[in-house]
Amino acid sequence: MLCRDADACYWIGRYVERAEATARMVDVHYHAALDSGMSYNVEDVPPGETEPPIHWASLLKISGSDEDFYARYESETDRDIIQFFAFDLKNPHSILSTWNRARDNARSIREQIASEMWESINIFYLELREWNVDRVLEGSPHEFFERVKRSSHLFQGILNRTMLMSETRDWLDVGRFLERGDQTARLLDVKYHDLLPAYRAIEENAHPAVEPLGVGSQLDIHGWIAVLKSVSAFEMYRKVYPAGLRSASVVDFLVLNPQFPASVRHCVKRVDGCLTRIGDGPKESETAMEPQRLIMRLMADLQYVRPGSIIKSGLHEFLEDIQVQCADLGDSITKTYLSY
Amino acid sequence: MSLFESYRTDPFFDEMFFENGEPRPHYRKLFQHLKDMTPEEFKRRVALADKTLINQGITFAVYGDGAGTEKPFPFDLIPRIIPADEWDLIERGLKQRLQTLNLFLYDIYHEQKVLKDGVVPRELVINASNYRAEFQNADPPGNIYVHICGTDLIRDADGTYRVLEDNLRTPSGVSYVLENRTILTRVMPFMFRDLPVRPVDNYTTQLLSNLRELAPASRQENPNVVLLTPGVYNSAYFEHAFLAQQLGIELVEGRDLEVRDNIVFMRTTKGLERVDVIYRRIDDDFLDPLVFRKDSKLGVPGLVHAYRHGNVALANSIGTGVADDKVIYAFVPKLIRYYLGEDAILPNVETYLASEPDSLLYILENLDKLVVKAANESGGYGMLMGPQATKEERDEFALKIKENPRNYIAQPLIALSRAPAFLGECCEGRHVDLRPYLLTGKRGMTLIPGALTRVALKKGSYVVNSSQGGGSKDTWVLAKEGMSQSQGNGSQTQTMGSMTQTLSSSKSQMGSPLSSNPAQTSKGNE
Repeated sequence: MLCRDADACYWIGRYVERAEATARMVDVHYHAALDSGMSYNVEDVPPGETEPPIHWASLLKISGSDEDFYARYESETDRDIIQFFAFDLKNPHSILSTWNRARDNARSIREQIASEMWESINIFYLELREWNVDRVLEGSPHEFFERVKRSSHLFQGILNRTMLMSETRDWLDVGRFLERGDQTARLLDVKYHDLLPAYRAIEENAHPAVEPLGVGSQLDIHGWIAVLKSVSAFEMYRKVYPAGLRSASVVDFLVLNPQFPASVRHCVKRVDGCLTRIGDGPKESETAMEPQRLIMRLMADLQYVRPGSIIKSGLHEFLEDIQVQCADLGDSITKTYLSY
Repeated sequence: MSLFESYRTDPFFDEMFFENGEPRPHYRKLFQHLKDMTPEEFKRRVALADKTLINQGITFAVYGDGAGTEKPFPFDLIPRIIPADEWDLIERGLKQRLQTLNLFLYDIYHEQKVLKDGVVPRELVINASNYRAEFQNADPPGNIYVHICGTDLIRDADGTYRVLEDNLRTPSGVSYVLENRTILTRVMPFMFRDLPVRPVDNYTTQLLSNLRELAPASRQENPNVVLLTPGVYNSAYFEHAFLAQQLGIELVEGRDLEVRDNIVFMRTTKGLERVDVIYRRIDDDFLDPLVFRKDSKLGVPGLVHAYRHGNVALANSIGTGVADDKVIYAFVPKLIRYYLGEDAILPNVETYLASEPDSLLYILENLDKLVVKAANESGGYGMLMGPQATKEERDEFALKIKENPRNYIAQPLIALSRAPAFLGECCEGRHVDLRPYLLTGKRGMTLIPGALTRVALKKGSYVVNSSQGGGSKDTWVLAKEGMSQSQGNGSQTQTMGSMTQTLSSSKSQMGSPLSSNPAQTSKGNE
């Protein structure tokens, strides 16, 4: 397969997945805040002022775009946040930006993919041009985010149904699963710190007596549900852990569960499957074996660790390391297979 | 109100109707199908077709239009019909012409007998901007220069088909022939009823088989054929992608290819892979920065040498533009006589060469009656429509002609034939041309029984180019009466035969009940 085409497939996979992840996160945060009954970090709000209804800062951190946002926007109003995450073309990770880029890539390889796949991307591209922040806020924001999710699902469904079990599909999947795993790790990393102020205090004071793995307050539970919902994991989590919501279980489910389709472990395993089928990099490449080495290491980290020990030795450090490894893997794949 | 209630043929030759308003015999059935349709019903189907075009992204890029660079190619749903006897004439005429032009190109790039015999003035060929001296004495595979040809035909006031120009470099538009047919069968299925419309979908099969045959002898077994595009920003990118998809070949850009030891490779995720045949949609100028334009980023350094070494084949070959030069055009009837000893079956349009002193004088005196064209421009650029131009435009053009007479020709304004086009509420006559696609392979020439009919949708306009507001029509070539539709296409008849066989042999398995969930079935019965 042509390097340029493989590169385009890889990025289509990533961008479509990223658009969906962004839509999910903004959607769930927006709606979870509505019935939380209180704001998350009440102590952050100066007395006498009404707290912002939604704690958006963590969302900005997840996508690594807080600097960009605060440089160009004054406040964290719903309107600004939705504009930024959905329609701001200066934000390279906004839904509109990522979908446009997915389309550009699809257009450059439309002879490689089924026409229906191209059409599903193009149709939503045309639909997106008719949306703006006013229209989203006028009606139900959920309706808009649902449209994004469904378009991503439609694309992936058509992909599953029409594409040959070939290298083209493998590259689309490498992008899709690498992005999905990375997004799950980011989400958990940021929200974990948001949600467990008590635990954060323990970390800071190095107080070993408090058990951080217990059930949190009402607010924590609400927050964990939001996290699970934002990756469509809540119902499945219930089936696996009927005993209830415990932070260690959520971490186990989202990071280590081999069956949940958005767990980091599952995603990395899918990437590994694709790369195994694709085979070694070209002989001409200096790093022909590097992606395989990196992925074996990442798999080992995810396969042989226990959730309790992750939390004890620092969930943030663990997740940060996973994110770094995902980024290295992406770079190595690009360098080995896709550069031209 | 009906579609044709206020239709007038005016003083033009109309494809569908006689002057008295009666439909021509080959249009009668279509007229029956359409005459009672309301404009509302027609509009619904137009909307359906438009939606399909936009969703599929069947668009072209307009240069110099900053706002929306992608536009759908307007598609008029009323087909243009060509009866069998007219098509027969077109087929013979085009094959005669292309055979001649291939012989002419071989001659020009080898012995140049045609110049020595004084049939064409030497300086007109040598100074043509698309003559490639670098390619003198090279032998393309099978001595074929033009594998894919899209000649523009028009019909004049009395319905005579004439050649307007030859396109021998990288003619485009065939994707619309194939796509228009697909869309029309979906949105207007009833129109096809009772009409022996010949299928066009054999085109890509024939093209692929021709391209594969061009591969170097040692690579004949399983040649790697690719389509070379300038990239997504090219106006014909949709077509490049569409054809690559239909042919099942890789769509490559120059940066995907590299030449090592005069062999062309493409860069794949598994390393370098050899390329044997390139269907290139890049002009000569940009093909190879080592030989042609040094600043070309679209091309592949070393490609021309690899081609000269016979390690890779190009379609079309290099230097074909010298034969579709608008000045050389005027000599084609002479060339047909020179090479084949025959009279041209399809006449040219009368042409004045500004390089000839008498004609130059005539052109300058009659600019208000003539159409002036630059020799090497295409797509409706670099053109003066004398009768519709302002005095300033004509004066400006006169200066250009005097400055470089070799570069200009003039033709009388032909009253192009018209065909009905649907314009929002009803049908009106609009000017049309016709571009059939002719393929040359090692085993002969194949004309696809269909064509691109371009239509100037602007009232009174004669310019049909998509870049200038033109649209297209599906073009139906009718089979000879009494012939089945698949005749004249052996492979299709065969396929049909084997399909029937497969169906009947598996018949015993048909009709067995589909399985279902017994639990649910019994629940339903309770």
